[in-house]
Amino acid sequence: MAILRLNLSGAAQRIGPVLTIVIGVTCAVGVLVSMLAMGAGARRQEMGDVRADRVVVSSVGAQGALSDIPREEAAATRDLPGIRKGTDGEPVVVFESMVPVEGRRRVTGTRIFFPLVGVTPNVTQYRPEIRSTGGRMFQRGLHELIASNPCTRQFTGFEIGDRRSIHGSDWSVVGHFDQGISQQCVVYADVDTIMSTFGRNSYSQVTVMLQSAALYDAFRNAIQANPTLHLEARHESEVVEQGFKQLNAILNFASYFVGTIMAIGATLGAVNSLYAMVDSRRRELATLRAIGFGSGAIVASVLCESILLAIPGALLGGALAWAFFNGLSASPFGYSFQLAVTPSLTVLGMVWALGMGLVGGLLPALRAARVPVTTALRAT
Amino acid sequence: MRFLPLLWSGIWRKPGRTILIFLQVSVAFALFGVLQGLKTGVEHAIAAARADLLIVHSRMSFLAESRPLALLEQIKSVPGVKVVIPVDIFRATYQKPTQRLGVVALSPDQDWLSAFTFTIAPEYVTAFQKTRTGALVRVELAKKYGWKVGDRIPLLSNTAQLSGSTDWAFDVVGTFSDSDLGSGIDNILINFAYLDAARLVGRGTVQHFNVAVSDPNLAVTVADEIDRRFANSANETRSESLRELAQSQLQSIGDLNFLIRAIVGAVLVALLFATATMMMQSLRERTPELAVLKTLGFTDRAVFLLILAEAIAVCVAAAAFGLTLARLAFPLAAKFVPGLSMPRQVVEVGLVCAVLVGLVSAAVPAVRAARLEVATALANR
Repeated sequence: MAILRLNLSGAAQRIGPVLTIVIGVTCAVGVLVSMLAMGAGARRQEMGDVRADRVVVSSVGAQGALSDIPREEAAATRDLPGIRKGTDGEPVVVFESMVPVEGRRRVTGTRIFFPLVGVTPNVTQYRPEIRSTGGRMFQRGLHELIASNPCTRQFTGFEIGDRRSIHGSDWSVVGHFDQGISQQCVVYADVDTIMSTFGRNSYSQVTVMLQSAALYDAFRNAIQANPTLHLEARHESEVVEQGFKQLNAILNFASYFVGTIMAIGATLGAVNSLYAMVDSRRRELATLRAIGFGSGAIVASVLCESILLAIPGALLGGALAWAFFNGLSASPFGYSFQLAVTPSLTVLGMVWALGMGLVGGLLPALRAARVPVTTALRAT
Repeated sequence: MRFLPLLWSGIWRKPGRTILIFLQVSVAFALFGVLQGLKTGVEHAIAAARADLLIVHSRMSFLAESRPLALLEQIKSVPGVKVVIPVDIFRATYQKPTQRLGVVALSPDQDWLSAFTFTIAPEYVTAFQKTRTGALVRVELAKKYGWKVGDRIPLLSNTAQLSGSTDWAFDVVGTFSDSDLGSGIDNILINFAYLDAARLVGRGTVQHFNVAVSDPNLAVTVADEIDRRFANSANETRSESLRELAQSQLQSIGDLNFLIRAIVGAVLVALLFATATMMMQSLRERTPELAVLKTLGFTDRAVFLLILAEAIAVCVAAAAFGLTLARLAFPLAAKFVPGLSMPRQVVEVGLVCAVLVGLVSAAVPAVRAARLEVATALANR
């Protein structure tokens, strides 16, 4: 401990090498944390609204939202066991038909596709997290849309009263809503109107709210047991998870790829700085050895110093990542979410920093311990 | 020239330190190369995408709905249009539900290849045109599943045949490669005529038309004219060139530009600090040696240049090494955008950056070395 204090008391004089370590670690941790924050943000948004008692029914072997469920089969799902009854006494089963529709970005004016989801009006019972923030619900049979607030923020033409021409007919925006914590743009309209407008005969999916999550197996088995239904049921979480598996893979790969490379760079910098420090203090270290400190104590002191320099770097890096990126809206790969710098990410950054400090301090520490006492003292 | 040995021995004065600096700079530039390579690679890919190839699809979007085949003649009559080929796409799976592929049905009419980005051997083209149930398989896909010419591949799809069955089978007649970055790897080409005759629903409709324009400069005018002809009809279209499509597809990566810039910035700042500190440290240790050099008659300028040259040499060599690493690692990083390659320009920019890093980090030590007073420097010993 005494040696460590001695080491650190000299830190002010060696401001260059100290800063090298701190800044190197800061940058590495900052970058790692902010990149992982994308994955964490996307995940928080996607999984945040998922409920265990919600089930998505799609046609067998369907990919994503592109399934075809004939009307008769969809209607038959209403009679399946385990489905919750809504306030109106009807089963909470929502028929959906999704069409991608074109929008324009507010800032850049670039074209982007957003999902126009035709739903039955009981969607508000299936998704209690929908909260109206203005206007009213769409009416059955009319060309009316309701848009989530992120749409208004990101795209043009979603103010209440705005008219859009979709598929040759005139649609008007009649309401705004927030859907849980989602930052994705979602637009709802009446499913029958959508299907007649687009000449469709099948739903793209059917979503069901169960009485309780425990009834999932019974519900699933009932579908499988029925030979007239070519459908399969999955947990909402599975569907959501699958939907962003690829994005997640890309984000994670990129984060760790970049994070690892930067950590290697920072570690090399730490090694170099500590070597220089050990070199410039050969006499000091030799004196310590001469007055009876063991080499173990010296190794420990150098390692401690390197780790103690890495920790402020990690804190600073995490803080910078938080200051710059937390809550920032990102939309890579046409996907919108807010970056989330979570405590667990900060802890992860600390662990990386400690690793960098340890690995970076090891070789210089060993060299420090091996300083030959006599030659080092004699040398000028 | 005669200073080279001096330069060399200066660099290797402390081999351990030089190697560490070298590695650090290499690592930084490897990262720089990969990130910057992705960014510029995408920009180049967009610029390289064909502007004279239009995709005419439903005004809504690709997936939403199909267009009647009958539009073909009207599109053909637009001045400037060279070739129009109907294209329909459906999804299918091979053996397992997870082995997905896209089945692209098209009519191999005259000059059809000019309306696509495919490269196909002539004998395969003839075989494809002659075999009704024939399929051309993308090279990578053929390798993946071990398909050979003559194989019959069974597929399961959502598209029903007249019999109601959703099983399809095609005869592999050859392979093709595709230079378009946007298209996936898991694609096979089949004859549109066969699909259209064999399917239960959707007969006589296509998903889009591929249109080759006679003059690339006319592409925009032709696209507008096509869309104008169908405006306010039940079959409104949108025509866009492959370049525009690439732009909107790859733009997503462009959204990450801010992040990439931030990372590259952080890397360079950290690097600058590390190298500058090392240079200062090295100078402090070498003060007596430099004083001796001056005593021997080296001018201030020569010492200044010597220090700068040392730093720049190490940085540039390390950056070259790092950029080489980046080139090797690039396919790994770019696996999510198949076919992307790292442009030369990135290497050039990287080397310039390396020179700058060397210059900036050695500037202060070099100035100090030049101003060194021989007497005081030697007296300190």
